[in-house]
Amino acid sequence: MKKKAWLLFLAVVMIVAAIGFSETITLKLWTAPNPNQNLFWKTLVPQFEKTHPNIKIKWSQIPAAGSSEEAILTAIASNRQPDICTNIFSGFAAELISSKAIVPLDSFAGFEELVKTRDMSNVIKKWEYNGHYYVLPIYVNPMLVWWRKDILEKYGFKEPPRTYGQIYELAKKVVIPHKRYAYQAVTGVNWWDRWFDFITDYYAASGGKPYIYPEKQVAVFNNEYGKEVANFIYTLFKNHYTAVDLGNLPFYNGAVVGMIMGPWSIPYAQKQFPDILKNDVAVTPPPVPDNYPKDKPIYTFADTKGMIIFSSSKHKEAAWEFMKWVYSNPEHDVLWIKLTQMPPAREDLLSNKLFAPYLKDPVFAAYAKYVPYAVPTALSAKTVSIQQAMTNKLIEPLMYLKTTPEKALNDAVAAVNDVLFQ
Amino acid sequence: MKSNVRTLKRVENIKGWLLSGPYWIFAAIFFGYPFIWLVILAFSKWNFISPRETVWFYNFIKLFRDPMFWTVTWNTTRFMLYFIPMALSLSIALAMAFARAKRFRTFFAMSFLIANVSSGVAYSIIFTQLFSTNGPVNNFLYNHFGIFIPWFSDPNLAMFSIAIMVTWKFIGYYALIFLAGLQAIPKELYEAAEMDGATKWTQFWKITLPLLNPSIVMVMVLAITLTFGIFTEPFMITGGGPLNSTQTFMMVIYTDAFLKYEPGYAATMSIVAAGLSFALILLTRKLIERKVDFA
Repeated sequence: MKKKAWLLFLAVVMIVAAIGFSETITLKLWTAPNPNQNLFWKTLVPQFEKTHPNIKIKWSQIPAAGSSEEAILTAIASNRQPDICTNIFSGFAAELISSKAIVPLDSFAGFEELVKTRDMSNVIKKWEYNGHYYVLPIYVNPMLVWWRKDILEKYGFKEPPRTYGQIYELAKKVVIPHKRYAYQAVTGVNWWDRWFDFITDYYAASGGKPYIYPEKQVAVFNNEYGKEVANFIYTLFKNHYTAVDLGNLPFYNGAVVGMIMGPWSIPYAQKQFPDILKNDVAVTPPPVPDNYPKDKPIYTFADTKGMIIFSSSKHKEAAWEFMKWVYSNPEHDVLWIKLTQMPPAREDLLSNKLFAPYLKDPVFAAYAKYVPYAVPTALSAKTVSIQQAMTNKLIEPLMYLKTTPEKALNDAVAAVNDVLFQ
Repeated sequence: MKSNVRTLKRVENIKGWLLSGPYWIFAAIFFGYPFIWLVILAFSKWNFISPRETVWFYNFIKLFRDPMFWTVTWNTTRFMLYFIPMALSLSIALAMAFARAKRFRTFFAMSFLIANVSSGVAYSIIFTQLFSTNGPVNNFLYNHFGIFIPWFSDPNLAMFSIAIMVTWKFIGYYALIFLAGLQAIPKELYEAAEMDGATKWTQFWKITLPLLNPSIVMVMVLAITLTFGIFTEPFMITGGGPLNSTQTFMMVIYTDAFLKYEPGYAATMSIVAAGLSFALILLTRKLIERKVDFA
């Protein structure tokens, strides 16, 4: 009797233990509030759950707010943050790192192998912070210039301009005041617009050199490269080769011959202006100074975002398992391109046969080509203040011809350094 | 007898608390708690993530040394100087037109309220398109008169253009307040004035305007409050530019709190902005408010 009772007790203990060990882990995942990206995660999450029955993913978009950063910060403040989150840009990552809110991903086993598997050894270098990697970039959107081929041909230009001097030559022929301008020099006056004008142009002019030294956190863009870019912007406004307000959809309306665009413009143009996209678009890297070597690659700004694991997560290993699974299969990147038309952050886009069908589209192929030459924003927790200072002290004075390019640059560098030293 | 009165009082007390209780709870959660937190934040340095640090008056000193604070104060003053005269004069004119309408008065009045209830984001986008360089307004002006107006891109004009938009949105609502005021003025006063030979113009200055004083004060208070809370239009259309000429208190508060991760500094600015608007309302009431007696 005693033996039977003992065996029964043992069986109960084993069953309880088995249930305990196979307990399902639930990971909370937040992704970018973007319909195309939603389709991607909607496909991937069930696949992961199928192959990992002990991990359940509670997936949702980053809650609605003014911005993803705002939603994430309020979630952290109220301790409602997820385990894993996407849509993190480098400036925001720096803020999260300085507050120890996210974990270094290189502390997990298999990090280096994963980087090699996804062929992102060079891409990931641009995300290094204090000797560690906290973010795995999902996509890299290099900023490139779209040119209206039809207008160029009408005025006898066989190739789009490559240098500042060539843009001035183009402007002399094509500009019609209040109707058409040569090039959109400034994207807007919001802080984020600096990514798509000055910073893009600076990376192009300097061969991808930093505008803020990451180790010392000092602004250096009043150097020779910054001067070239500031002079370029100033010259365009001074000679009325561009205008402060170019109106609605200036590229598609023909109000401007060239402007910087991201790959997100491809699906938009496919829907709204398919004929222009098919016949009249030529894509080039951003313009460079006249003395820029012809054989040297032209760098540009990378609009890039990635995935992180929060320090508060109770299931960091499971979260890493999910990240590894997402990033290690190139088929996932194929699906990403298919659904979002944004280049994944990998360096084999041109050589890997899996991506070949998508490279038939010349516009997408141009973006894929520049992934290795696309540099993200400076890793600083003060990105907004820095770029607001650039707007107020550099871009707007140049747009409204309030000061000389050199003075505007020096004022902007002083203002940015004030921000950095605070 | 005494105990009956006491019981009755107690019952009445309980009833009172039960009736007002939900309001007290609501006010404590949605007004009291955020207000206390706002004051705590104003004396703190915090970035939502790291532990909060008490810095006492540092944020206030920083605020008064911040050129952006003085820029937005000047911008708010400019907006008020454009908006209040336009909104007051046009809404009084509109209310007088409504008052004279013999048919469909309610329909006309309600039609003007459509602007007030429409989405700020939606109409900001529409106005941006209408008044842009290649928009229909500028196309018309350029084709017919050879002129071109940089509505939102000229630093001297941008705030005025936004004031026009906000006036369009609010005149219907303010006109309803004035219409109620106009309807309260006894008709006998006008009849008596006419018998004394007063012109319509004199009647307006001597009867209508003085007796509309309560409505004018109310609209002024609403307009001042609105001025300090303006956000959607400059945020959507100009982003605070050109040259910071359309930056407002709310835009700076939002940027500081949620983009620069400085909620303490933003809380300080919101307290100072609220104080300024409160002081301005008090001053307006002191200068303009008059006791109106229809007897």
